[in-house]
Amino acid sequence: MPRAFVLFAHPVPESLNAAAHQVVVDTLKGKGWEVDDCDLYAEEFNPVLSRKEREDYHDTAINTAPVQAYVDRLRAADAFILCHPIWNFGYPAILKGFFDRVMLPGVAFDLQDGKIAACMNNIRKIAAVTTYGATPMRAFLAGDPPKRIFKRAVWGTIRPEKMRYIAQYDMNNITPEGCKAFLARVQKEMEAF
Amino acid sequence: MRVLVVYCHPREGSFNAAVRDTVLERLKAAGAEVRLHDLYREGFQPVLTTEEWTGYEDCPKNQEPVADQVADVAWCDTLIFIYPTWWYGLPAMLKGWLDRVLLPDVAFIMPKVEDENIKPGLHHITRMGVFTTCGASRWLTFFIGAPGKRTLMRGVGLLLAPRTRKVFAAHYLMDSAKEPALKAHLAKVATKVDKLTGYRSSLEPQAQTQ
Repeated sequence: MPRAFVLFAHPVPESLNAAAHQVVVDTLKGKGWEVDDCDLYAEEFNPVLSRKEREDYHDTAINTAPVQAYVDRLRAADAFILCHPIWNFGYPAILKGFFDRVMLPGVAFDLQDGKIAACMNNIRKIAAVTTYGATPMRAFLAGDPPKRIFKRAVWGTIRPEKMRYIAQYDMNNITPEGCKAFLARVQKEMEAF
Repeated sequence: MRVLVVYCHPREGSFNAAVRDTVLERLKAAGAEVRLHDLYREGFQPVLTTEEWTGYEDCPKNQEPVADQVADVAWCDTLIFIYPTWWYGLPAMLKGWLDRVLLPDVAFIMPKVEDENIKPGLHHITRMGVFTTCGASRWLTFFIGAPGKRTLMRGVGLLLAPRTRKVFAAHYLMDSAKEPALKAHLAKVATKVDKLTGYRSSLEPQAQTQ
């Protein structure tokens, strides 16, 4: 059974993002995926890269030790799905810290003289399911940093066969119908994933 | 001039610490008042909590958990960030500072009526400096789109006064950087801070139009 690693980063279960996350998990299970549902808030993930971790960052023999369980979960996955809000044109800190601490040299990429080689070959599909307070125009004006991290940096370290970026913008003005439409879109995308 | 310096690096003695010291030295030369927040040293907690999210728009109560930080944001007219770029972006610690401190009624005004946009709330800030270091090359950073730079220069930049004076300096390929290049970068940082503060502007005719 193919395995999906779902990384979820929202503090409030009643949020639209949490609802979208639930749709992702349920739909994938319904389509025969084994889902490893990683709720960073529920697991109280510590996103702060420590001084020791910084010093050992490039030493691939020991750099995974503080986060070995998360590394193992990433390495066991065939698909990697991010569910998260966009805050201040970036990832929530708890999710950014997952990149800082877990997506390490030797895990997510090999780094030599600033050149990066992909090394998460187990993952074949990636998706981001995300909610913006900003309107599409405002996100565009800011250069949409989180979209770039996903579509270029994450894509580049995985080189997946399939990538989907499923975004709901302008959350401050969303209607109940808009919420429903977004969840329906997430479901449709995950059924076809 | 009142400058808030937000500094984020886990290791004292890092090159970022040298950048910080250069920035502080140039600010002192310009006679600026400075407040420094060293996020790692303060043990800043970067995770926006469930309570903070549910009370996000409950102003001014939403400021209580980070009142000291908010006071300094309100106090300053110049904002400077110093940090290493990790995964093309801000360290989680610094990203969490944005998440938790740049709140509604502090940094922006939430829409009051339907279809209204978010409005900027930091119009008292007229200068911004961003100083960072990147493991990746300049080429790769630009190819990815320099997300960390954009989050600050544009994302936060959109909240500041119109025509805010902005400076940016990054050192690339940090992991193989040699002493002369690092020294040259510190000199560049010093020049950029002077440009930001207008210090020595009498020697620089192009700066007098500001």
